[in-house]
Amino acid sequence: MRQGGAAFSTDCVLRRPAASIYVWETVMRRIAERGIYWKMLEQVFINGLISGGKYALLAVGFSLIYGVARIMNLTHTAFYMLSAFLIFYLHQSLALPLAASLPLSIVAVTLIGLVCYKFIIAPVRERFTTVMILTLTLAIAIQEVILISFGGFFRTLPKVIPGMIQLAGIRMTSQHLLTLVTVSVVLVCFWMLLFKTKTGIAIRAMAMDREAANLMGMPESRIAMLTVGISVGLAALAGAVVAPLYILEPVMWMHPLVVVMAAVILGGLGSLKGSILGAFILAFAEVGLIFLFPHLSFLRGAISMAVMLVILMIRPEGLFGVFMEGER
Amino acid sequence: MISYWARKVFRDFRGEILELPTRTILFAAGILLFVLPLLTQDLYLLRVMTLAGIFAVFAASWDLLAGVCGQFSFGHTLFFAIAAYSSAMLNIHSGLPPVVTIPVGAILAVLAGLLLGLPGLRLKGPYFSLASLAFPAILLGVIITFPRFTGGELGLSGISRLGATRLTEYYISQSAMLILVLAIWKIATSKTGLIFHAIREDEIAVRASGINTNFYKMLAFSCSGLFAGLAGGMYAHFMRIAGPSTLDLILSLQIIVWTIVGGIATIYGPVIGVYLLYPLVEFLRVVPQLRTLTFALIVIVVLRVMPEGISSWVQDIVERECPRCKERNSLFRPYCRICNTELEHGKRFRLMKRGA
Amino acid sequence: MKGKKWLNRRVFVAATILTAMLVSLAAGCPRRQPAPAVPPAAPIRVAVAGPMAFIHGDHQWKGAVMAAEEINAAGGVTVGGQKRPLELVKVDTNELLSVPDAASAIERAITVDKVDVIVGGFRSEAVLAMMDVAMDHRVLHLGVGAISPDITARVYNDYNRYKYYFRVFPYSAVHVVPTSFLLLQEAAAVVREELGIAKPKVAVVVEKVLGFDPVAAAAPKAIPTMNMEVVGLWRPSATATDLTAELTAIRKSGAHIIFSILSGPVGIAYARQWEEMQIPAVSVGVNVEAMGGKFWQATGNKGNYEATLAFLANVPVTEKSVPFFKSFVEKHGEYPIYLAGTYDAVYILAEAIERAGSMDADALVTAMKATDYKGAAGRFVFNERHDPLWGPEHLTGLGIQWIDGVPTVFWPNGWKGLRYEGTQRFRIAPWVLEYWKN
Repeated sequence: MRQGGAAFSTDCVLRRPAASIYVWETVMRRIAERGIYWKMLEQVFINGLISGGKYALLAVGFSLIYGVARIMNLTHTAFYMLSAFLIFYLHQSLALPLAASLPLSIVAVTLIGLVCYKFIIAPVRERFTTVMILTLTLAIAIQEVILISFGGFFRTLPKVIPGMIQLAGIRMTSQHLLTLVTVSVVLVCFWMLLFKTKTGIAIRAMAMDREAANLMGMPESRIAMLTVGISVGLAALAGAVVAPLYILEPVMWMHPLVVVMAAVILGGLGSLKGSILGAFILAFAEVGLIFLFPHLSFLRGAISMAVMLVILMIRPEGLFGVFMEGER
Repeated sequence: MISYWARKVFRDFRGEILELPTRTILFAAGILLFVLPLLTQDLYLLRVMTLAGIFAVFAASWDLLAGVCGQFSFGHTLFFAIAAYSSAMLNIHSGLPPVVTIPVGAILAVLAGLLLGLPGLRLKGPYFSLASLAFPAILLGVIITFPRFTGGELGLSGISRLGATRLTEYYISQSAMLILVLAIWKIATSKTGLIFHAIREDEIAVRASGINTNFYKMLAFSCSGLFAGLAGGMYAHFMRIAGPSTLDLILSLQIIVWTIVGGIATIYGPVIGVYLLYPLVEFLRVVPQLRTLTFALIVIVVLRVMPEGISSWVQDIVERECPRCKERNSLFRPYCRICNTELEHGKRFRLMKRGA
Repeated sequence: MKGKKWLNRRVFVAATILTAMLVSLAAGCPRRQPAPAVPPAAPIRVAVAGPMAFIHGDHQWKGAVMAAEEINAAGGVTVGGQKRPLELVKVDTNELLSVPDAASAIERAITVDKVDVIVGGFRSEAVLAMMDVAMDHRVLHLGVGAISPDITARVYNDYNRYKYYFRVFPYSAVHVVPTSFLLLQEAAAVVREELGIAKPKVAVVVEKVLGFDPVAAAAPKAIPTMNMEVVGLWRPSATATDLTAELTAIRKSGAHIIFSILSGPVGIAYARQWEEMQIPAVSVGVNVEAMGGKFWQATGNKGNYEATLAFLANVPVTEKSVPFFKSFVEKHGEYPIYLAGTYDAVYILAEAIERAGSMDADALVTAMKATDYKGAAGRFVFNERHDPLWGPEHLTGLGIQWIDGVPTVFWPNGWKGLRYEGTQRFRIAPWVLEYWKN
């Protein structure tokens, strides 16, 4: 097994990628070398699953708030960062136990998100572009507040569950597994909320046709508030679960924002299952690239964007999105 | 004859520019830009204003595509970077002067515009916005993959200057800004511009009226690419470096901030936005720690108070629309300047505007 | 009649707005700071330019302040028989986020703050833009931080224009490559001996930046000649934040050694995940983030046994090294990263000013070229490219390994007869030992 791994990697070093023909050849040869192929497929699968779970947790909240309130919330990942830093502050500086600082910061960030929505976004909500820029500047403001109070240093958040786990012959950190579990739990809760409760029906109705829902007596602004709360809460939860896998820094919101937007758009705006699927597709594309072409692994950002573009060109409304003629 | 023309120019000037406060302000600001070097020769100030001129063209070109034609692109730096890189390469390898390299770079940006136009034809609204994010990311991947041609993360340097001195560079950028923005404004207010506006409002209705919307959308992409490309080329020659920072996501977002703060779909709005906000950011260096935070808070307050941007907010204060002929009039006029209808004065101006 | 009146009012409004704009513009050009009440002599103004909100600029500033305080405490710099103090100006270039910002900041420092010399610059793309501004004004620019060879290639190719630039610290990337191979050999010797593997397998992880392309090209050819085998080349981006996939692949490749060359924040992700995932291969190479600073906090105390090239450590390279290191740690509670080399740069500058006897830029260039200074990092002598010389008598750099939160020097350990007091043998991480012993 080790022998095989060695062989496949050395020739990548010696031969420089010249043209797409070379790329194609390599893929075909990899597939031909079945032993390696299966081993690698297994790794790609597990790693893709891990990495997709991280994106999916962030994408769900982003998608929800767009679907219901039609807000392109560029602050979403900034809330995720804020929550991570808040946990760090509570845990490291105030020396609170992790069990206390996690819920505390999730609640605090949700409140901050609601206040921002109520006083900054809600009054100008009808103007799509203005809202977008407001959310963007809000994200920059959060970044600056963190930069000023924490400084531009790298930090690490302690893991909720430390240690490693052996799964299907692949070792991964327990935190990665926790992310996957959290995503599935969140998903199940969501399904319950949306399909089993009255509020859920109202949220879905709002997402389909706001005016009609309003006419049917659904409290438009209250449901919007509720959705914002859930969405920001999810971002904050991601800060607790996903952020320990990364490094904390004041500009850590930008990269996930791009990936999350790509995942959401790929799956179709407003569709929850679409955004989750989108997150996993992008993750598999990235991981696949790293395993097939290790010396090109810096292209992971470009490859996920290219995948998104190709899928959108085939399906302009994303995988599960519905293109509404009535909307602009 | 000469005195006739002189009088006509003066009359037009009085009637069309002095009559409206906003136009007077714009005119005065334009004059101020040209006499600024007489007041101060401070190289730092000139540098800031030169960059502001370049970014003003860039932001106005985005406004043409997004504000006027409704193609809300997040990847506008694609044009900027392509033009910057290609004029830099041309200049370095063949030694051609900026006069040649900038237009050539802009033409390549037009081709890039056609490329970005392809998803633009197929994708609608936010789908297009987010898909357009992909182009700069992919181009960045290409740049990093072929460092021998692009200089990798260092970028291309050793480019010749835009002008011999900072003063000439300043005048080049300011006059280019005025000419190009005027051109963009002409396009936006022409018949073609009307179709652009219509496409933004309701593309299906435009198609139903027998207009080839695909052609006009492509036209908007290439026009916008052309002007963004000219700005990119000027930027490369002014900074004398064309690097991956021209593709930064933050730059794409910055022009959107400038445009929306200035007033979207007006063409002059983004210019106002850039000339107010860009020097503001520089001025905030007096509080280096709080610089960006102050900037963000100012933008939030501005957008909260004036969701349609500074330019239309000011217009609402100092001007009235005639209820009969819909012509704009100065706040101080009792009667409309065109049809002599009495203007209402009782209406209170609301400082905080709520959503429509 | 009436029209006239309105016109006047309009003119008034326009004039008010114009004045307001002018006033705000005038306010935009800040005045020079007021001179001290009884100036003993005009201070020499030195700009320290870097991304001040980040650790890089922070350490540039801290290093420079230490040197300036020491020099001023000793009376200042003698220029033409007069003692003049050094006055540092903090210039936040914001270069990590915006390159035009960096160039504007330098222009502002020169024209508004009227600085005489610029020290610093970190991101290579920004340094290229910044040095153009400095050269336009013929202001001496001492680079501390950027290692790209392209920067000093400009000095070589267009000497008259770029002669005011000196790369003081560290040495060019051209020398980083052979030095990092020396570290690899040191680690490989230990692996051979302790694990009993005659021909260790090496996984090469080189960050995808232009400066490191030569390493990526050279490694597959050079490493086999050192009696090792290359099992793969991974090139993550400088800002990658998750290397789980890469490290899993490395584990599968059966490597004994990971030779990593990383300069960006990816270095922290790498070192942390390397320990967390217990990858059974020793790690050695260049990891800029691991050179000091808050590395240990940044990784959450992970990254034990990570080894990297560094420049400032707790060993007596010269008699200045240990005192500098100790007082830096004492003062700031963290280890200096190489950007604190501004400490040496300010001393070199002060010496050059004294030698030149004036603040004339051309005289300063001539004086700088005559530099032969023993600083905290080693002995500084410049070549015709205005690059510091590399070698056992000049600058070599050090190999450090993190052992329980303390950077310990493991190289040079007898290379060309060099061995500083306090050097320890390279250590293999316990989980690596455990994996290969069984």
